[in-house]
Amino acid sequence: MIEAYLIHLLILIGIYFILAISLQVSLGFTGLLNLGHVAFYAIGAYTSALLILNGFPFWFSFLMAGVLAMIAGLILALPIRKLKGDYLALATMGFTYVVYAIIINWSELTNGPLGLPNINKPSLFGFSFASNLSFLILVVIITAITSFIVYKIVKSPFGKVLESIRDDELASQSLGKNTFKMKSFALAISAFFAGIAGSLYAHYVTYIDPTSFTIVQLIPVLAIIIIGGLASLKGTLAATVILVLIPELLRFIGLSSSIVGPARQIIYALILLLIMLYKPKGLYGKVELD
Amino acid sequence: MVFVQLLINGLIAGAIYALIASGFSLVYSTCKFINFAHGSVIAFSAYMLYFFFSMLGINFGFSVLFSIILASLLGYLMNVLIYRQFRKRKAGSSILLIASFALLILFESLLLMFFGADIRTIGYIKVVKGISLFGAVVTPLQLIIIFTAIITFFGLYFFMKKSKIGKAMRAVSDNKDVAEIVGISSERIYSWSFGLSSFIAGITGVLIGLEQNLEPVMGTAVIIKGFIAAIIGGIGNVYGAVIGGLLLGLTENFGVWYFPSGYKDAIAFVILFLFLIFRPNGILGIKKGGDKQ
Repeated sequence: MIEAYLIHLLILIGIYFILAISLQVSLGFTGLLNLGHVAFYAIGAYTSALLILNGFPFWFSFLMAGVLAMIAGLILALPIRKLKGDYLALATMGFTYVVYAIIINWSELTNGPLGLPNINKPSLFGFSFASNLSFLILVVIITAITSFIVYKIVKSPFGKVLESIRDDELASQSLGKNTFKMKSFALAISAFFAGIAGSLYAHYVTYIDPTSFTIVQLIPVLAIIIIGGLASLKGTLAATVILVLIPELLRFIGLSSSIVGPARQIIYALILLLIMLYKPKGLYGKVELD
Repeated sequence: MVFVQLLINGLIAGAIYALIASGFSLVYSTCKFINFAHGSVIAFSAYMLYFFFSMLGINFGFSVLFSIILASLLGYLMNVLIYRQFRKRKAGSSILLIASFALLILFESLLLMFFGADIRTIGYIKVVKGISLFGAVVTPLQLIIIFTAIITFFGLYFFMKKSKIGKAMRAVSDNKDVAEIVGISSERIYSWSFGLSSFIAGITGVLIGLEQNLEPVMGTAVIIKGFIAAIIGGIGNVYGAVIGGLLLGLTENFGVWYFPSGYKDAIAFVILFLFLIFRPNGILGIKKGGDKQ
């Protein structure tokens, strides 16, 4: 019993970690105030679920989840590439609502508010990841690969250009860097991994509906990257573990389930406010939002 | 006749959007950050009206009065207890934006906790057969919305133009440092801005509460329409917010002429993206907001 619970928590930590480091690429490293991350997560989850439900193999659905989210990222980058700060935040937040509205209204494809049930558990090369333990192994492998790729990207010359855009875009431009293109790439990479996280989530819970992809879902992810520290991968991991585990305490003090949901959000919102107030650089962060 | 009906529906929706956007823009113009929590104050006011009038059974006039006063107080306290602490630590506008977003979710969850997820109706004004006006049907409530909105806008206009505080607000909005040199305390003006904007939010909340059903997520729903209207009008420009709100209401309602009504919200976002691409400073915006942090 306790093992099953621990496995469940570790899977959640893995999915949130992928979601959080992907947001680090756009928000932490490139400094884009991207509030549209949940939209890419939703695109990934729905793409993967719909493909596998229509008979495509898991690996294809999984990759397409990332690719489609990435394409959405590139499309979103076109109108917003010149926006900054407040405007960028509003536009990306608006994008979350556009995607949400499409999921709700395009019932023929997404089954609208009723959601998609019976999403298959993943299987690869004849091996099924149906049990939670095997799913955890899959999540760990994908998390490791994602972390490695993100690490390589942010340490590469391209990653340095992204950080220079965050710190001083004008200076970066004057050195001949095409910052619009770089920002679009950063957003696309960020979206790709959010889509992957969405796919894992869909195959794990086997049922998705639009309520899992409202703007509220952004709060825990934002809290993770701000608590861990912007542009810090080590901090992101620590903060993911802390933030996934804290609301679990609510279970043990015996709150009714209708209270637990809002109470979780209240805890996340309060932690986010307090950390920005008293430790704006987070646990391991070097930079602050301006 | 369809035209007149759509025009009137558009004006009524627009009046509400304009009210939301004007309070939102007022804070943006002086404090220079996006205050998503403005939506929480509106939702709070609507729920307070439900609490006093429908749950406690207090006289309607007093319930409205209490709701508006409590909403103004909530906005004022949010500024003093939270945003001021951030400003003391020299937090930038992005931090304040995320803080206000956290507050929006915080209040949404609190409403969900205290009032539950069920839809609530205040039901003060019974559904009556509307009166006919130039061939279109208008309900008494819709007339009240239009008149209240017009009175609020004129009140706001004269306050900003004639009163000492209003002039000081415009001074801080133009240039905070110069305003401080001539002896205007910017913190005092911030308090006034929040108080006044939340007073308008209180009125807006009451009107929305009477016209629609209440749900905990309404704060988020209204602030989206509010910020789209504000961007159309030129963010931070209070008069622009009124124009933006009316334009948004009219476009949404005339759009339904051509598109299925499920796409009403989508129309709003298309307008948002069109403005962000081609005219990020909005209709009346003069500041180079699109290029500025």
